[in-house]
Amino acid sequence: MSNSNWRTEIGAVLRKELITEFRTKNGLLTSGLFGFVTVVTLNLAMFSVSKNADMAAGLYWVAVLFASILALPRTFLVEEDQGTGDLLRLIAQPHSVFWGKALFNLLLILAIGLGLSGLFVTLMETKVVYAGLFFGSIVTGCASLAGAVTLCGALVARAANRFALAAAVSAPLLLSILSFGVSTMRTALGAGGTNGWTLVMGAFCYAVVLFAIGPWIFAAVWKK
Amino acid sequence: MGIATIWSFHIPPAMNFQNPQLARIFVWHFPCPMIAVSLLMLSAWFSFRYLRTHDRAWDERALASQELAFIFSVLTMLTGMLFSKVMWGAWWQQDPRQTSFLMVLVIYATYFILRGAFPDAERRAANTAAYALAAIGPALFLIFVFPRLPQIQSFHPSDTIMKGKLTGEYGIVVSIMVVLMTILSAWLYRLRIRVGLLELEKEKSYERMDARGGGPASSGVVRRISVSGEN
Repeated sequence: MSNSNWRTEIGAVLRKELITEFRTKNGLLTSGLFGFVTVVTLNLAMFSVSKNADMAAGLYWVAVLFASILALPRTFLVEEDQGTGDLLRLIAQPHSVFWGKALFNLLLILAIGLGLSGLFVTLMETKVVYAGLFFGSIVTGCASLAGAVTLCGALVARAANRFALAAAVSAPLLLSILSFGVSTMRTALGAGGTNGWTLVMGAFCYAVVLFAIGPWIFAAVWKK
Repeated sequence: MGIATIWSFHIPPAMNFQNPQLARIFVWHFPCPMIAVSLLMLSAWFSFRYLRTHDRAWDERALASQELAFIFSVLTMLTGMLFSKVMWGAWWQQDPRQTSFLMVLVIYATYFILRGAFPDAERRAANTAAYALAAIGPALFLIFVFPRLPQIQSFHPSDTIMKGKLTGEYGIVVSIMVVLMTILSAWLYRLRIRVGLLELEKEKSYERMDARGGGPASSGVVRRISVSGEN
């Protein structure tokens, strides 16, 4: 298949996901609201506790992690529920389907992550000391989350009790991403440490690996 | 194994540890993560082979490796917690090494949950093989990279072996225990594989019988009837 065909197919899948999402706004609203409630709940739970950068970094990534686990696997699960999964198998190559959906998930989780970061900084009364590192941490962390959760959503799409299983399967794989995100954000919020950009590169490499091997693993199970 | 066990109680105390007498659990703790990680990598290889060939024998091998790896990972955690209690007075130290290995345990517990979610055998094999391949990267990161990051402070001794601090009789017993537990794990693995392949063969024979029209359900209770046009 030529490169332009790949791009066309990936673009078609991405466009389809965006149109569906803008029509219903299910993913954005569900995970956005869940993330919002998480941040508000954390703020309420800690109202008499002095918040520091260490704590804020960990709590932020917990909120993003759970919001992404809730929303991202839906891209495949909804296909099976609506009966459009088989059509997608017939008309598109597995690699194109994976890339299209992973890119959509990336946009979705970036929107959620950036939105939550503003809310978090405001409610948690933390100061962003290194803005570049702060946003670098969010972008690379969200990219890793998108790749991992897209793959997990595909794995459980035709399993029993798949909506709950998607969360159970995704969460353990995302824990290592958390370590990068939390460490980088701690530095960005002024908790100390000098290797923030090294960790950003680590998260970036993790995302690259996921996007590189994800399509291949996905192709092995998609048409089963 | 019995001789090595008795010998482990008679070796001199390990002088590099806080409580040298009770540090003997190290003799049992040390081989477990080595065997667990080896089996996890073996499982990833077998999963890759399954996805290439779609031969369920590879899936059985991957499952056997995962099961044994999980058992040895649990043993690692238990002996590690015992060591932690003896050395530092708490079962759980919030130590990065302890926590990261617990995350590995959770990752591979999920493998078995995923396995139980697919009634169809081929789909089950394919999806769990894909998961095992996807999980090996994070698992190796959590085991080898995360505890060694510069900003991570860990109580877990990481240079006892590398700096040659295990010497004399203590080192000999640890080495013997590593060899013996490796042999034990290989023996258990071969037994488990034999059971798995026999089950697979039984399943295939049922499928062959069903294809010929005389499956087990029809042999005793339900008899085939033929409808002919004659009155």
